[in-house]
This record gives sequence, structure tokens and C-alpha cells, in this order.
Amino acid sequence: MQDEGAPADRELLRRHVAGDADAFGELFRRHRDRLWAVALRTLCDPDEAADALQDAMVSAFRRAADFRGESAVTTWLHRIVVNASLDRLRRRAARPALSTGDEQAFEALVAQDGDPARASDTRLDVDAALRLLPPQQRAALVLVDMLGFSVADTAAILDTSPGTVKSRCARARARLLPHLAHLHGNRSAGQSVSPAQGGDTA
Amino acid sequence: MRGQMTHLDTDVLAEFRAGLITGRRGARITAHLGGCERCTALDEQLAGGRLLLASVPAPAMPDSVARRLDTVLAAEVAHRGAAQGNVARSGAEQKDQAERADGDGAPESPAPRRPGGNRGFRLLTLRVLAPAAAVVVLAAGGYGLSRANLGSSTGSSASAGSAAQGAAPTAAASAKSGGSVNAPNAGPTRGAASRPEGITAAGITVVTGHANLSHADLGQQVRAELNVPASARTTRAATSTERGCVLGLIGHHQLELVESVLYEGSPATLVVARAGARDMAWLAAPDCSATHRHVLDTTSLPSGISGP
Repeated sequence: MQDEGAPADRELLRRHVAGDADAFGELFRRHRDRLWAVALRTLCDPDEAADALQDAMVSAFRRAADFRGESAVTTWLHRIVVNASLDRLRRRAARPALSTGDEQAFEALVAQDGDPARASDTRLDVDAALRLLPPQQRAALVLVDMLGFSVADTAAILDTSPGTVKSRCARARARLLPHLAHLHGNRSAGQSVSPAQGGDTA
Repeated sequence: MRGQMTHLDTDVLAEFRAGLITGRRGARITAHLGGCERCTALDEQLAGGRLLLASVPAPAMPDSVARRLDTVLAAEVAHRGAAQGNVARSGAEQKDQAERADGDGAPESPAPRRPGGNRGFRLLTLRVLAPAAAVVVLAAGGYGLSRANLGSSTGSSASAGSAAQGAAPTAAASAKSGGSVNAPNAGPTRGAASRPEGITAAGITVVTGHANLSHADLGQQVRAELNVPASARTTRAATSTERGCVLGLIGHHQLELVESVLYEGSPATLVVARAGARDMAWLAAPDCSATHRHVLDTTSLPSGISGP
């Protein structure tokens, strides 16, 4: 959280570009917890997330002069982190099991992260469920629903259109529903609706 | 049944709530929700899912990651400062460094002090301590020394020492072992003499040390190791695995010390490199190599400060 009277993000970035040795550190520390959350939840792996965040930090440090001010600095930072994270996911695409998602994979992941009987551990269940999503859907959902970014800012971060962000989020929410329903007590209702029945008819 | 709608599909309802379905179709969905308990329940579930996701606290960044990022950032800052300083570096200094690089083992005079992050280009020291238990590598500062130089061994390209501002003197002691040269070092001393020989054509020299380091006050412990007179050290040549690990850790920064140590009671290698106004230190696990960066702990030492 930025202290009252503390220099704005843009000012810190300007100072960094001008040669201030401390400005970037202050800027990055100001946002790094949220940047970490994005990297971790996008990659679902702490080691990979740390590597991605380090890559992103170094990239932002070196490319600060390229920042054109068309978005908020924090949006720019998140974009770099998300890109670094998605790049890593692309590189490990040979391991698709965690992105295709099915009930069996979900149960396996829950078991891996903790005893399924401890379903009260919301964070673990949510983390496991997130792994079932394709990376692009996961990134959009994390930014909008978990970190509170607007659709417009998320579109800027993901370099796509607001409509695509909405679509990705909608599909992600629908996909997660059966895996999260037990956490808010209405699972049976969720399971009662068959996707085959979907659509509207005139 | 004309005009009636079957129950809503989860995807459709999610798209509707995302604002992707509007107009007449949206109006029909709204009307349907007004009279269908089943779909209303599903709609509430979707809303509940969003609330649930929003309620999950963001994971805290582990201290180890925060320290790692701080260390990397310090290196970037130092590198930038050194790069800026390098531009102004004079040809005379380069000549001086080349001459020193040729003077194997000879005592050196303290390197001239440079402002700010402009201490690069001088390889301070490379020390290797003792017992085979652990190895510590300290790389010191300059940026002018490329990784290729470190690796390849052209002693002549590695310039010596760094100047440190403010700091204690360095012992110029250098020990040799295994064919490699040790430079005096730098320890704590940043203004001390430097020798090009820390890294030689034969590779990296490892000080065989006995220190048992721990996470608490790691910076001060590293500083203490840097302060040990070179004359009190014994060294050996680094193995190819150690060499790959060290070069992978220090990147383009100048190696100052590699020392076998104990970390929290287990064998490790201390690697210290100088990055402009800071020293960076890594404690590498025994299995650390060029392709497996296994770091147990890291710290950075601000110039003139005994500890992080």
C-alpha cells in the first residue's frame, strides 16, 4: 500500500529511468505481493512463479524507458509478469495434464495439495481448481475475480479485447463451478443442471 | 411451449452475467430467471463462486523469494551503475589493469577509488577455504569481466581488484593451490588491492574453509569471511561442477570469493560477487551445477555496511 505523500508510481518510474538507484526497488516492492499472487496463481507452482517474477522484474527494470504511459504503471508491471508466466507455461506445454482438467485430475491435485477430507481449506481447493483451467482463462479469472482488476485493465494486461476477457472469465467461472460449489454449500443444485440442456429457445 | 426457455446452461448463464448476452436474448434469460428456481439457484451459485474467489487471500510472498528478488535487483542496480561508469573509464585504467593481470602474485597497491557503482572491471578476489565440506564463492564486483572471461581463463582479461570505497583494507594475500591463483582479497575491504588472478586460466580457485554459516545475520558472517587474510587460507582448484555452478550464479558480475563452508551444519559453497556498490553472496548446495541452480540462501551486502 502506498503511503500518503509517497511518490506516485509514475514518478518512481521516471526517477528510475533518470538514474535513481532506489526508485525501481521502491516501486516494485510496492506491488510485488500482488505480482507474486498473479505469477503463482497463473503458474500454480511456487518455483516457476519465483522464476517468472524474477524474469519479469529484470525485464521491467531494463525496459522501463519503453513505458509510454498509456496505462497505469501497475498495469504495465502486471502485464510483464503475466507474459513471463504465460511464456513459462508455453514452454512446459508438454505437460498438459494440469490444463485440460477433469474430475480425476482434480481429485489427484486435491490429494496432492492436501487431504480431500479437509475440504474446508478453501485456499487449497481453489488453488487446485484453478489448475484445471487453460492458462489464458486462469490468468483472466485471477486478475478479475481474485485480484479485482477491471475488465478493461485486464484486457490491457493480457493484450486482448474486453470482450475476450469477459468470455474467458465466463467460461472459467462455469468450469470451476462444480469444483467450488461444495465450498458454498449448494453443490447439488449446480450438479443438477446438465450442460446439454443449455441454450435458450424461442 | 413456444416462447418458453429450457433451463439455462451454466456457460450461457455465466456469459449472461459477464455481459456478453444482451438484447432480446438477454431479456428472455432475465424473464426465465424470474420464474425458475432451478436456474436462479445456479445463478446464485455462480455469484457465490465469484465471491468465494474474491475472498481467498492473496498468497504471501515467501521470504526466500523476497530475498532472492532483492539480491537480483541489487545486482541490476549495481550493473547499471557500473555500466554507466564504464563508459567513462579511461584507456589508461585499462592498460593498468592489463599490467596487473600479468603480475601473478605480486603485491598490489590499492586500486583507485571510484565513485558510486563504478568499481567494476576489477576482480578482487577469489578465495577458497578449507575443508571439503562446503564451498563458498564470493564474487566481487566488476562488470567489465565477462562470464566468458571468467570461464575461459584468460587471466589477462580479468582485471584485478576493486576499489572499494570506504572499506577495509584487503589483504593482499594470495594463496595458490591447484595451479590457480588467489588473489588477495578483498574481503571486507573494498578498497583493497585487487588481483587479476582470482580466476585464472586454470579456472576458479576455491578457498577451503571451516566456517559454519547460518541464515541469521548471514551478511555479517559473509563479511567476516571476506575479512579473513588470504595468507591464512588454503585453496584448491574448483571442480567443473563447482565452476558451472559459480558462473551460473554470478552471471556477468565479478567473482570475489568461492569458499567451501558449512551452512546450517551442512556442506555448501559460498559464492560472493561484487556488483557495483554491493556484494552479492549465494550459498550453493553441493549438487549445484551449471544446469541445476540449487541455492540454499542468498544475501547482499550494501557497500560499507556490514550486513544486509
